[in-house]
Amino acid sequence: MNQPVQILKFEGKNIRQPPSGAHSEAPKEPEPYLVSSRLKTAVNLAITLRRPLLLEGDPGCGKTCLAKAVAFELGLPFFRWNVQSTSKVQDGQYVYDALGRLHDVQLQKVERTSRRDPSNPEEYCEMGALGKAFEIKDCTSVVLIDEIDKAELDFPNDLLTVLDKPWGFEVKETGKWVEARLNHVPIVFITSNKEKGNLPDAFLRRCLYHYVEFPGSEKALRDIIDRHYQSEQVEAPGDDLQSAAIARFISLRNEGGLIKKPGTSEFLDWLKALQTYMGKPYSADKLIGSDQKENKLPYLEVLLKVQQDWRKFKPADEPV
Amino acid sequence: MSQFDATDWIIQLFLRLKSKGYSLGVDEYRAALEAVEAGYAEDEAMFLELVQILWCHSRSQQIQLDPIWQELKREAQKQKPPLKDPEGIQEPPSPTPKADDEVKPQLPEPEPLIKAREPLPKQEVSSLPVQAPFTPVEREGILPLQSYFPLSRRSMVYGWRFLQRPVADGCRNVLDIPATIQRVTERGYYLSPVYRRQLRNRARLLLLIDQNGSMMPFHRFARDLVETAMEESSLQKDNVRVFYFHNVPASHVYQDLYLTSPISLQEVLGACDRDTSVLIVSDAGAARGYRRQERIQETTRFLLQLQKRTHLIAWLNPMSRSRWVGSSAEILSYLVPMFQVDRFEFGEAIDVVRGVTGPLVQGDED
Repeated sequence: MNQPVQILKFEGKNIRQPPSGAHSEAPKEPEPYLVSSRLKTAVNLAITLRRPLLLEGDPGCGKTCLAKAVAFELGLPFFRWNVQSTSKVQDGQYVYDALGRLHDVQLQKVERTSRRDPSNPEEYCEMGALGKAFEIKDCTSVVLIDEIDKAELDFPNDLLTVLDKPWGFEVKETGKWVEARLNHVPIVFITSNKEKGNLPDAFLRRCLYHYVEFPGSEKALRDIIDRHYQSEQVEAPGDDLQSAAIARFISLRNEGGLIKKPGTSEFLDWLKALQTYMGKPYSADKLIGSDQKENKLPYLEVLLKVQQDWRKFKPADEPV
Repeated sequence: MSQFDATDWIIQLFLRLKSKGYSLGVDEYRAALEAVEAGYAEDEAMFLELVQILWCHSRSQQIQLDPIWQELKREAQKQKPPLKDPEGIQEPPSPTPKADDEVKPQLPEPEPLIKAREPLPKQEVSSLPVQAPFTPVEREGILPLQSYFPLSRRSMVYGWRFLQRPVADGCRNVLDIPATIQRVTERGYYLSPVYRRQLRNRARLLLLIDQNGSMMPFHRFARDLVETAMEESSLQKDNVRVFYFHNVPASHVYQDLYLTSPISLQEVLGACDRDTSVLIVSDAGAARGYRRQERIQETTRFLLQLQKRTHLIAWLNPMSRSRWVGSSAEILSYLVPMFQVDRFEFGEAIDVVRGVTGPLVQGDED
């Protein structure tokens, strides 16, 4: 490769504006995200080695947001592909509307007008997330393949052939070859919850692996709160309420004996509810004082999602 | 700080992890080299982090890495003194000319650790003749966690998928685009789309599962097998039937795994035709090494009855082949194709019950 390769490096910066020269398809809204140094390394390795980064971890701990945060910081176009149980790898490449074309041919005989020109097969081909990413020639793009474990058994293996050299595929209907430039190979993030058991070995071998853990320390949670409220540009809850909420939440996770532990996203929602729901902030003293003693929890519908967990706590009295 | 040279370690750790069952290929090795060149392994901590991200594919593998690394370092340290002079390790690693500078200062860093540990066994050697207690603990700790059973649920699901007998007898609602276009071009005008019938899997499966007694340790496996066949296979639920028995399928088998609701064997066999696939899951005495004449006779009688109905019969034996020798399993394996349970042989068993390979029994192999 003689062309100068653009060196991308993800820093996990706390920025609110997209960088100058950001691609037009880059996310416009900032994605507040606190990155551990290990995760930073994993992202940069994925960029350097051109391998997909597989993210596993507890639900609600920020697997999905990472890709967008990376795209935002680097100003790269972002494409998201939500995998469903019926998804095929080809859906991520392109979808061909053969029926629409047939329809338009018949329509032309009668009305001589149609939205698309059926004599041009390319007009009926719509690119999927990977197809779009491959077609962007002037920079790298970020692709998020969300919840890969939902798909059929063979899906990860099929995907493997697409996410490797020659980084291209053929649109069968038009004979067109879609290929990514070698120095602009997309950065691919894949998330999984292990819903249907393990992913195949060959697929794992090709991926980089990172387990996203719940940020268990008080400081980490505080940093996350800061970053979120900064980026939303809303006034953060008072210090005492923050400390009380963090203390209560950590003890809930560690000692509550919960079946399904709430994650970071639930925590942020809960804090928001504590701050704003009743029009005035919830009393911090009550939260870690009388409520904790009586095993009451305000707004538990935000935190607890399993019936058995509900039985362990009583809802707190609404502040009057 | 002394410089850490990852290239020294990379191949050794790669081989060690491979031998420990990590799934790695040459590509992964080269990717690691590339990452090291790109500066992702400046010191030992960074190197370990790199390896965790690149070569470990689950959380447990990441956790196991550290003990493996420590063990490797300790072993390398023991071998170091003789290897250092004849440039055994110095030669290959260094694309940079400073190889000598790098290797020498690298040594002092790990050495203090080892020196602190080594006096202990030395003292023991002086007072006791053997230094046994250390190694077994280190080596054995991880092994039992590695594989609970040689056939994962994923492999089961994968196996079941081959049990297909697709028949197009569903609703006529699948649009056949090529045929539609073909007809339009033939006629010159479009009249109606062409529909095909939905394909349905008509394969039928009869699972006969030995419960209790020597099969106790395999209940979990049997349950997984039933669950995957019912829920996660392409088989239609009505076409999967499961019955349980204890030791030998006698005049009655049971419809539940607690062996409480009996159903006569005649009734079960009556519903079998020559397209029904039958899988029998039992250790056939191999778990305890039994070889009982009356059980073998009873089982043979049952198998002969079954073979009158269908030839798509396979026997899954959760004990490995080496344990069949001398037990009833060895004799029965001449009557019916018997397979040990691993990914490969499970696939073969499926091939037998779907009628791809003929009823191959042990005797035929010679």
